[in-house]
Amino acid sequence: MDGVHDLGGREGFGPIPFKDDIEPFHGHWEKRAFAMLQSSRGDSGWSIDWFRLCRELIPPAQYLARSYFDHWLLILSAQMIDAGYITLEELKTGASTFKRSPASAPVTAEGARAYVRTPRSFAVEDDRPSRFSAGDRVRTHTFGHSGHIRLPFYVRGRAGTVLSHHGSHILPDASARGEHKGSHLYTVGFAAADLWPEAKGRTDLVFVDLWEDYLESA
Amino acid sequence: MTSFDPNRISHIHHDLHDHLPSDPALRAKTLESILLEKGLIDPKAMDAWIEMYSEEIGPMRGAQVVARAWRDPDFKSRLLSDGTAAIAELGFAGHATGHLQAVENTPDIHNLVVCTLCSCYPFSILGMSPAWYKSNEYRARAVRDPGGVLAEFGVVLDENVQIRVWDSTSERRYLVVPQQPKGIDDLDETAMAKLVTRNSMIGTDRDLSPSRKGG
Repeated sequence: MDGVHDLGGREGFGPIPFKDDIEPFHGHWEKRAFAMLQSSRGDSGWSIDWFRLCRELIPPAQYLARSYFDHWLLILSAQMIDAGYITLEELKTGASTFKRSPASAPVTAEGARAYVRTPRSFAVEDDRPSRFSAGDRVRTHTFGHSGHIRLPFYVRGRAGTVLSHHGSHILPDASARGEHKGSHLYTVGFAAADLWPEAKGRTDLVFVDLWEDYLESA
Repeated sequence: MTSFDPNRISHIHHDLHDHLPSDPALRAKTLESILLEKGLIDPKAMDAWIEMYSEEIGPMRGAQVVARAWRDPDFKSRLLSDGTAAIAELGFAGHATGHLQAVENTPDIHNLVVCTLCSCYPFSILGMSPAWYKSNEYRARAVRDPGGVLAEFGVVLDENVQIRVWDSTSERRYLVVPQQPKGIDDLDETAMAKLVTRNSMIGTDRDLSPSRKGG
């Protein structure tokens, strides 16, 4: 979706804030928000991509104004209401009025610790040959679509060079719809001078990981 | 049943905004008490998450990885070719590092990592991401004005140094391997790791010399 979350290259934001802040959490509630979301197994089909789409759907003015962990609270509240585990009314009154068994048992402390020490692969078995290889010139699609997509606005319709191919990975667009589908994943390098007028004459590069569904030959 | 319907989620977000308190601390408390009462979360799991990311997992892990790479060229080449397998040697592979790519600074190249679309970060080696990394300002500017961003962090590059920005749009995560400062060959790995800052592994710090200003 063409939302305000797609921030790369947007101008007028000004100085980077909180440069000297090294605290992992600020205040008690940020810890609780972080831990609540991480501990919620949720409904069948929930994925990191469904989470990201629910974040992107926070109304634009709030998206820009609210803090990171406030986003997490809004995402979890929206997802839980959508899936029918809680209601807006319950959040308004603070009282639970019904119980519904979760799709799977809640994460335990041991489960949480095992999750954090186990690297997870997003690679997918895929018999289809990859269309591109390192060194190929590719151009990204001009249009996205109204669902979740990981093709940033600032590289749309731009040509770049494939740096590396990573096999097939879960396609976020499908995953955010509760579907499981793979697509070949590439790291594509763009000359900064091809992206930004003020980068003319510079040799800087911007690398973006892009799925084959977003690319054509250039 | 989850709808996977963007319009429905958009409406719910508007309801949350219109009907709930704006103070996130109040909303956090209510949501937690309801989820607990319904048996949807285990408080011990919450405690484990908080312990892990308040105390146990932080940038000292990444610093150990970098120091090992400085001391051991074979480890460094393993790190650059398969980051996940290399950090697993130190027991650090895990949360958000299933596809880790290490990128190396050189005298002519400076690397900078961002996530413009959300706030992706290699949690199991750098811990919780700092607030500036998650800011709208950093996400907007890092890909377009990396030199200006670096200057705000006190990093001024020579004109001939190429900046390579890595936008974390997939589940691949990036770790910058900063250059080893001159004159520290006699230090052991632990002492070397103390020189490696969190920001240097994201790319907003570059010169790690013990003698540097403020170092």
